[in-house]
Amino acid sequence: MALTDASPLTGPATTANNERITFWFGCNMLRHAEMIRLSILLLEKAGYDVAAAGGPAYCCGTAHDEQPKAASTMAGRTVQRFNQAAVQDGRGTVVTWCPSCHMHMADIMSPGNKTQFDVAHVTEILAASADKLAPFLTVPVKRRVLLHRHAGFASTHVPVNDRVASLLARIPGIEIVEGTAHPGHMCSALAAVPGALKKAATETWESAKAGNCDTLATIFHSCHREMVALDGRDGISVRNWVHLVAEAMGIEAADAYRGWRHGTAPDIAAIEKADPALFEKLIAPELRKPASI
Amino acid sequence: MTKLQQDKAASSQAFLADAGPALADLCTACGACFRACPMADHVGLGGADSTAVTHGLRVLARGLAGPAETVTWVGACAKSGLCVEACPEKSRGLDAMLLVRIARQQALGSTKQLAGKRDPTAFPRVKTFARLQLTDEELKKWL
Repeated sequence: MALTDASPLTGPATTANNERITFWFGCNMLRHAEMIRLSILLLEKAGYDVAAAGGPAYCCGTAHDEQPKAASTMAGRTVQRFNQAAVQDGRGTVVTWCPSCHMHMADIMSPGNKTQFDVAHVTEILAASADKLAPFLTVPVKRRVLLHRHAGFASTHVPVNDRVASLLARIPGIEIVEGTAHPGHMCSALAAVPGALKKAATETWESAKAGNCDTLATIFHSCHREMVALDGRDGISVRNWVHLVAEAMGIEAADAYRGWRHGTAPDIAAIEKADPALFEKLIAPELRKPASI
Repeated sequence: MTKLQQDKAASSQAFLADAGPALADLCTACGACFRACPMADHVGLGGADSTAVTHGLRVLARGLAGPAETVTWVGACAKSGLCVEACPEKSRGLDAMLLVRIARQQALGSTKQLAGKRDPTAFPRVKTFARLQLTDEELKKWL
């Protein structure tokens, strides 16, 4: 089974609890469409009725500290949209992917706005549903995997490193090596501090080599964006945890961003749809950026 | 499930305006948060006086200009969160990471001691990535 743009997004659920949720994937995960689709698929397999929401219209405002009024307005608008989904559509839980969005909701958005929903992270929802997902994990994944971890978010909000490790442990054939927890909550948080991202990336890669790992697993999108540029180096593949779960389900989920970072051109029709001028101005420079190490 | 705080102020901006001085009042400038921070070494503050740096944290969080070392430190916050558990005033309601966040915001805004790094291409970029990959149905339903 291949997950492509044309694949249906809904899959048969293991149990029909049909709890209605909003999957809030944030802004920057839009670089990784297949991760969004796979997350939705896994939530549906766990029995949830999923409506996805993200992009600038659902911005939390966390990246706009230099514009406090605009950030506050964005936060209020997003809370309102989730309130509306809760009241009008029965979607009383917002399931997050991005740790920045999750922390901003918990620490800054909710104290400044009336919320009519609960918030949970996708990894805690899926880890709690591991027994429902287990029957689908039938394809052995013979990989020795270093789990790339950060200290942040896990230390304060959701034990995400443990939740991902517990999910991956359900995959037949896989070996998990838990690496050092690096500073920050994900790699993008380190990018602004000279040398910090390079140090974390170097330590991660050296740990994977020292641990005789053939795969590096990322948890968050921004870490994947950084580390996937190294894919293939030293015989080590870079995959996100959802890719590995999908692999165990027999789903081939092409990692388009990985291909683009390694020189594969996006489909011409897709570039036309995106606007060739914007592609050249906004996307191509990022894809040509040298790896951090 | 994360427990959400409920409706303490009229907006996020108003909440932060109230929270800065309130958290600063709880802080004793003991330096524990600074000593727990893994980013201090990255910005050359490994040998800095932790009580002086965190005294500056209280000053900044109230919207007043803080010492250079404090500004450098809050500017390097990567949300590792180790300060939260290290803080001896946590049980009294002091969220050290939020205090650092507010101090950083003040350094970006009120005191203008940090330069903003606004990227006007961020939203257009993710929208272009979206159009590059999502189906028309996904674009319509998700964004």
